[in-house]
Amino acid sequence: MRDFEDYCWRDLASDEMRAIYSAYVRERSLGARPALVVVHPGEPVRDGAWQSAAARLLGEARRRRVPVIHSVSPASLPVEALYSKDEELCARPCESAFFSSDLERRLKTRGARSLLVCGAPTSGALRATAVEGKSYGYKVAIAEETVGDESGFLHKMALFDVAHKYADVMSLEELLAQL
Amino acid sequence: MPVNRVEHLWNDVVDAPTRALLARRRPPPFGGKRPVLVPVDLYDLVYDGGPRPVRELMAEYPASCGEFAWRALPPTIELYMAARASHVPIVHVTYDTRKETDPSGIHPTNRKRRQPDLSLYRIRKELSPLEDELVVYKKRASAFFGTPLAAFLNELGADCLLIVGESTSGCVRSSVVEAWSLGYPVAVVADCVFDRSDLAHKASLFDMHLKYATVVELAQARELMRNA
Repeated sequence: MRDFEDYCWRDLASDEMRAIYSAYVRERSLGARPALVVVHPGEPVRDGAWQSAAARLLGEARRRRVPVIHSVSPASLPVEALYSKDEELCARPCESAFFSSDLERRLKTRGARSLLVCGAPTSGALRATAVEGKSYGYKVAIAEETVGDESGFLHKMALFDVAHKYADVMSLEELLAQL
Repeated sequence: MPVNRVEHLWNDVVDAPTRALLARRRPPPFGGKRPVLVPVDLYDLVYDGGPRPVRELMAEYPASCGEFAWRALPPTIELYMAARASHVPIVHVTYDTRKETDPSGIHPTNRKRRQPDLSLYRIRKELSPLEDELVVYKKRASAFFGTPLAAFLNELGADCLLIVGESTSGCVRSSVVEAWSLGYPVAVVADCVFDRSDLAHKASLFDMHLKYATVVELAQARELMRNA
């Protein structure tokens, strides 16, 4: 696995910042019995590279019968390329996929013990979901290519924070190798 | 609140295309008749080692925010005085240190923890709650998660929140996101929030202003409380 800091935020994090956050550096892994929560953006996110990576992750998850739950804002429709109509939709009225939703109940029903999260925007719904997933006691994993944001700066800073404090961030290849 | 009054707080780290997103800000304008001040995690641990750069403190005091914490202390004391003078309730939020609520492996973040001196989670003495003020003890990043904070705010009749404390990118931010989710207009008082990293602090300040809150300076916060 790549060095803990060798991901998209590498050009933003100075040596001093890495040193300050060194207490968070650790081994990363996908948790046992994961469910894949796909966080569909409430507004379209222009850069679509995350969508093709997320589609690949979804394909692998479906093939391995990992439970898939789509978290969708009532203001928008699920991203067509990611949604298959035999899969569960879970309404997301606020920012986190958990807040004011029945996601926790759905995860229990599907027997999930950890989370795999993808979607957009990285600095909004995705981040809030990772933080609240951790708060609920789940181990949370994210493949950096499968999340995206309107702003490259906010994307990198959000993944930096999330990787250090709340979730295990790795590359898609690193994550797929553990699925 | 005009955006340009606070733009200088993050202009040196947030790039122009990202700043341009402010044209589509969505948080409701801050305001209400019954503001409540919610300070998050202002305990001794984050002032440990004194007002020195974080890099000089991190070996001995890994949780200290050093100079950033000390810089925010006088304005925070001033904010508390203004709140109490205007009868704006303060609901203090701190970490629950009871041993039986701290099983191994259940922690707010993935930081490797040294054996913490639990007495360092005492709220900083200059910021101590008064006898009739409420205190919320939390185990997670957000002040709302698993706590009675939402109920306290309803009982107080709160219709808008001022949130301060640390860390900007951690507990303050996740509390702000939940406050926004609960429907509160939120003001974050820039002089009274801090982090261990200046970049993480400024990036989160900007991002909260973009999505969930109105970032204000101390003078504006005082004015908002006086007029409430």
